Order: sequence, then C-alpha cells, then structure tokens
Amino acid sequence: MGVALGLALVLASCGDGKSSSGGSGSSGSKSEVIAVAADPPEYINPLNDNGTAGIGVSMAIFAPLVTTDPNTGKLLNVMADSVTPDKTSQTWTVKLKPGNTFQNGQPVTAKDYVDSWNMTAEGSNAWKNNGFFSKVDGYDALNPPTPDGATPKPTAVKTLSGLKLVDNLTFTVKLKVPFSQFGLTLQYLGLAPLPEEVRKNPDAYKRKPIGNGPYKLAAAWNAGDDLKLAKWDGYKASDAPEADSITYRFIPNADTAYNEFLAGNVDFTDVPSTKVKSFKTDAPDQWVTSVSSGANYLVIPAWDPRFKNPKLRHAFSEAIDRKAFADLVGLSDPAKGLIAPDMNGYRADACKYCDFDATKAKQLLAEAGGFSGPVNINYSTTSATGQIFAEAIGNMLRQNLGLQVKYTGKQSSEITELADSHKLDGLRFSGWGHDYPSIEDYLTPMFKSNGDANFAHYSNPALDAVLAKGDAEPDPDKAIKLYQQAEDIALEDMPLIPLYTKSNAYLHSDKIEPRVSKYVGVSALWATFK
Amino acid sequence: MIRFILRRVLAAIPIGLVVTLGVYALVFAMPGDPLRELAGDKPIPAAVLAAKRAQFHLDDPFIVQYLLSMKDILTGHFGTTFAGADIADQLRLRIPVTLKLATMSLVFQWIAGLLFGLYAGFRRNGVVDRMLLLATLVVLAVPGLVLYFTGQYVFGVELKWLPVSGARDGWPMSYLLPALCIGISGFAGLARLTRTSIVDTVNSDFVKTARAKGLGEQRILWRHVLPNALLPVVTLMGIDFAGIFGGAVLAESIFNLPGLGQFMFQAIKLKEGGVVVLLSTLAFLMFIVINLIVDIVYGAIDPRVRNV
Repeated sequence: MGVALGLALVLASCGDGKSSSGGSGSSGSKSEVIAVAADPPEYINPLNDNGTAGIGVSMAIFAPLVTTDPNTGKLLNVMADSVTPDKTSQTWTVKLKPGNTFQNGQPVTAKDYVDSWNMTAEGSNAWKNNGFFSKVDGYDALNPPTPDGATPKPTAVKTLSGLKLVDNLTFTVKLKVPFSQFGLTLQYLGLAPLPEEVRKNPDAYKRKPIGNGPYKLAAAWNAGDDLKLAKWDGYKASDAPEADSITYRFIPNADTAYNEFLAGNVDFTDVPSTKVKSFKTDAPDQWVTSVSSGANYLVIPAWDPRFKNPKLRHAFSEAIDRKAFADLVGLSDPAKGLIAPDMNGYRADACKYCDFDATKAKQLLAEAGGFSGPVNINYSTTSATGQIFAEAIGNMLRQNLGLQVKYTGKQSSEITELADSHKLDGLRFSGWGHDYPSIEDYLTPMFKSNGDANFAHYSNPALDAVLAKGDAEPDPDKAIKLYQQAEDIALEDMPLIPLYTKSNAYLHSDKIEPRVSKYVGVSALWATFK
Repeated sequence: MIRFILRRVLAAIPIGLVVTLGVYALVFAMPGDPLRELAGDKPIPAAVLAAKRAQFHLDDPFIVQYLLSMKDILTGHFGTTFAGADIADQLRLRIPVTLKLATMSLVFQWIAGLLFGLYAGFRRNGVVDRMLLLATLVVLAVPGLVLYFTGQYVFGVELKWLPVSGARDGWPMSYLLPALCIGISGFAGLARLTRTSIVDTVNSDFVKTARAKGLGEQRILWRHVLPNALLPVVTLMGIDFAGIFGGAVLAESIFNLPGLGQFMFQAIKLKEGGVVVLLSTLAFLMFIVINLIVDIVYGAIDPRVRNV
C-alpha cells in the first residue's frame, strides 16, 4: 500500500523539460562534451576511487559485473553471466561471460577479478574501495590494526581467504556472515577489474587506463587536459551507450560550468545549488530532473542525555514544517521515512511523527519533560546554504516548541570529527545516498551499531538483530519486509529526523537527450542523439 | 650594488623562514582532518586512513611536519598531493599559466592606471578626473567575485566574444577576460595614487622654482615632475606585481585556468600544508625579487635613495 503511494510521489517529482528540435550538432558523428563540476582526477583507477567525478568517468572506460536495468529496476548482467548465492547467502558464485576482453586485447578472466580485488583489500595499498571487502572472509588478515602514526606494513598474507578461483571464468566469494544483498552490491563500478599489466605497476597507468568498458582513451591525457574518449569496438555487452566520442571537461567551479553550458560550449552539466531557482528560465526546454534520491536528516546526538527521550525527538520532528523546508531547499520533497523514494521497499507513510503538528509537538515535549537550555544547531560553513537551513530549522523549533536556539558554524570535517569523539554539542545535518540500490544500504550504514555512517552513534540490539535476519534472508521480498521492520524501530527511536529528499537538475544541449531513469537517475553517458 | 643585492638576499632568509613557518602554522591550525575533507561523506577504512596519514606525515608533531615539508621543497622532492597529483608536474603545468595571466593583467592594470592617473592629474577636475573618481568608487565597491562572474556572463555567455573559461584557446584569447577583470579591479588604486602624486608634485615648490627660472614646460614635466611623482607609483606597482598572485587565486578558480592560484585554492580547501607552503615560498621568492627590482628602479629615478 505504501509502495503505491511512494510511486505516486516519485512520479510527481519526475521532471520533464522537453527538448526543442533543431539541434546544434556540428558534425554527423555523435559526440558530446560533458562538463564535470569537480577537480580533475589525477588518475583513473576505479578500485582506488570513490568520488562521484572519478567513478562517473570510469563508468565510460570500465564495465561492472552487473547493473540496474534503467527501465525495470531489475538486476542486469554485464560482465557476469550469473551471480548466485548458496542457500545461506554466505557464499556467492560469480560466473563471467566468455569472450570479453580488456582494451589491450587480453581476455577478462576470473583471475583478473580475484587479483584486482585482493590488491584493493590489502590495507597497506591504501586504495579507496578497500572498505568494500570488509564483508569478505579474510579481510582482517590483510588489514591488521595499525598503531597511531605507524605506517601499515604490507602483510604476509596477500589474498582474501574468501576469494576462490574455480575456473578461468568462475570464482566464489565467501562472506564473513550471510548477506542476501551482496549480489546487488556487485554493480558498484569500484569493483571493476584491472588487467595484469596494470596490476603489475598501477602507477605507470595512472593516466592511461586500460578498461573493459565501452570507451577507451582517444588521445593522450595529461594533467590539465580534457579527457577525450572514443568508442571501443571490442565492447560486447548490450548496454553500450550511443555516443561515438565523449569529452569530459573538468570545471571545478560549478557556476562556471553552468555558464559554459549557457554559452553553448558543453552539452551537459549539473545545475549547481545556486541556480536551482533560475535554471528553468536560463535554459528553457534544455533541462531534466532526476527522481528524488538520497535522503537528508537532522542528527540527534545519541551520546547526549538531554536528547535521550524518544518523545523529545518526536516532538522536534513534529515541530518541523517539512513542506516549507523542502520549498526553501528547492527541487525537494518532504521526507516521511528514512529511505530514499527511488528505493524498492520505500514506504511514503513509514514515519508516524513526520507530519507538521505544532500542538502535538508541544504536548510531546511536555510529556518528555521539556528541554533545558538552548538547542545548538551546527551547520557547515563549507556549504553556501548551511546557515540558512540551520536558521530555518531553528526558527521552527523556537516558534513551535518555545525553545531557545543557537547556531554554530564549522567546517564539515570538523563537525564530523567532533561528533566522532562525542564532543559535538547539539544537532547537525547529514545526508546519505546509497552505493547499491537496496534499502539495506540505508539501514546498515546509518543505524546498525558501529555502522560506517552511523551519524548519531546510535545503537539498538533489537534493530541489529532484525538487520541480521534480513541479511540472512534469501527471498528478496521477505528480506525487504525485515528491513522495513528495522526502519520502523529506527523511526520509533528516531536518532535521525527525516527532513527532505532532493532531486538533481541537469542541463543538456538540443543535440542530446540524457537518459532519465527513476531507478538510476540521469545519465549523460547514456544519452540518445537527435 | 652587488653588496646591496647580497645584503637584501641574506635578509630575506630569516624573513622567509618566518613567513613559511607562519603559513604552515595557519594551515595546520585550520580545523578538520584533511583526509576526511578529501573523502567527503564516504567512510574511510581504518587501514586506508592509517596508510595515508603515514604517507603524508599527518601524525607527526607540527614542527616535524614543517621541517619535512621544507626539506622536500629545498631538495626538490615535491612528492604528490593528497589526491595523487605529482607536484613537480603540476608546477611545470601551472607556472606558465599564472605567469601569462599575471603579465597580461599587469599590463592592463599599469597602462590603464598610469594613463588615467597622469591625465587626471594634469587635467584636475576635468571630465576624465571626475569619471575616474566615479569608476574608482564603483570598482572598489564591487567585490571581485561579482565582477568576474559578470564579466564571464557578459563577454563569454551573452556576447560570445571571449571564451567563458579554460585555457583551451591558448594565449592570448583564454587569458584576455580574466586578465581584464584583474586589471579592472586593480587599476583604480594605481590611477588614484598617480593622480594625487602628480597633483602634489605639480604644486610643489621646486616645480614653481623651475618654472620661475624660465624652464620649458617639457623639461619641467620630464625632468622634475615625473621622476618625483612616480616614486610612490613605482612602489605600488611593485606591490601590485607581488599581490597579483592573490588575484590569481580567485580569477583562476572562476575562469578555470590551471594555474598556481587554482592550485593554491585546492590546497587550502584540502588543508594541504605542504603544497600551501611550497606555493607561498614561490610567492615569497617572487616578492623578494620584485622588491629588489623596485629598489633598483627607485634608485635610478631618485639619486637620493640610490643604494641605500
């Protein structure tokens, strides 16, 4: 029932900037220039990159094992022929399609995956996607604890005991504990394989990646250059994009990238937060928006006894006019749950305490015994809008609950550090976007005790137990039901107060129509040409 | 002369130490963990964090980190940035970009500043003088950020006369707009100073005496007015030259020019003490050299201060 409602909300938030005909394509070949509003990457290696810019570019050069079908939301094989769990979901067998090669002509084999993953899992290599393998058996042997300040020594063990080669095209992954969502996690591009010659000396290939994906380097790529890619005819998977050539142009200042688009110099760019109110008039008929994705919260410090009573947290939640707040943010929808609306398993009515009701809020606050002293709201000075959002929330708490409010601006990394050491006073903002499309990727990181992104430092053994049950449940629908139970527990305890979900806006030239999918968002790489 | 130069260079060494130490301390004192800043919202595995912290000496005491950075700079082993860029490569790429931008903007700034200043000084209270006052007020009131984005929008997006950003069109096209913007934001001060200095000098006793002696106007202008009036102007031009690096930080970031200013901006954003100190050292060296040149030029114009 909730799912239908959720869908309605999702569809309502789906934009439709129609494109005018005409087209400004200069030549017959299908080429596009994509602006990336980020510092240019210094190397291309998906296993050692978890930034949006680097992974986005790598997507053109490398191919994942599996992917989400943009039309149906189902899992689709790319490099994999099959990904199958055993009965307990603890050991997974990955079979590769035969006949795929790297751009240097060597075949893509199971050994390439196993060796690339082992390299990444070895802590002393300090590759950024190391954390992905923490679920795999044997991870701890490659990542022994290091005393503060000491350089991690290369370990004697070089391979994950959980990774086993079966034959040339098959390998198995044994996890530490059963995990029913593991198949979904394999679509992360940060798991793409490197060919042997690159594995031998990754530094030599920093700027000349050899991938297994639809595009290869078209020209030498030196520091300061645009990244120019050309279609690679060796790519055999069915999801090859349409463009014959793609140029990625890195423009760290998002407003400058936006101006480059308006001047007609790039075919695709993000709309920066400063232009959310004006992009529809700046580029009429040349914009698209994604379905709301990711989720944004107000974080209650679980270590602060003043915020301990769940009724107080519910009172705060009821005192927030989410509609007004989402309007202030722009391109946003009020959040009524902890999961993003584009997830399978999202329920639009999950939260019972998220409707704005000042009377009820006051009553709940009274039942909780009130709140002594001013509520401090921390905001990031790195963000242009941090202070405005903090003041909006502060005013709502002040007016609707009669509380005193104060504000503290700090750099976001400093806020995180203070929170990690339980020294942060009061509330702060946080947001989360999934790495793989499962509601589990919201619940485990943010609500499991010691989760990777447990902003509130929240812990409830009951929730951990339900999550573990979901992880061990091989039937996807049943697993979702269990995860939803975990969401319900988290909403009752409310370590995070849901605020809003946000869609992103993008501009595109008349020449292309970006792929817009309610499952995987907006993509310029998979644009169609007119 | 040689002794003079030597003395200045030797004096620069302790100043350089103080400056680099100060800059390093400022970056060190910035709140927040640089590696966390680099990672954004994503959690970093403990092993990765430990390896990176060790690689960049982030767990060492402040003074050790500073000395290691200075050792790297003095021995030319610049290493890599947190993001993995080879710093020596970056310098090779970026120094020419910043030099081209700085030279061009200074040419704009000096030509406009001197022309307007001289003209306004000799034609005091004329149309140009009043317009200059107005322009000065406007330029000083408009923040650089607004000026740069307006310039970008008007000349790049609307009129399409000049590139919006980037260095793809090479010299001079790619540099015209940012250089013009820096020039405009800087010329006003120079013009005002030149004007005032000219006015002061023209009314001074020695010029009146020269005129009373019956000297020709040309001789008065070239031998008496200009050399004296330009003394403070030369000083300001020197400071301008050294300060252009500050302007480049903003202009290169907005106009996406891969120069030292953009590099500095990234490094400060990520709290990369080593890179900030390296770039500050470069700026400092430039400052010292320019100051020296200014002093030599000063002596050439005014014998009273020669080789002081």
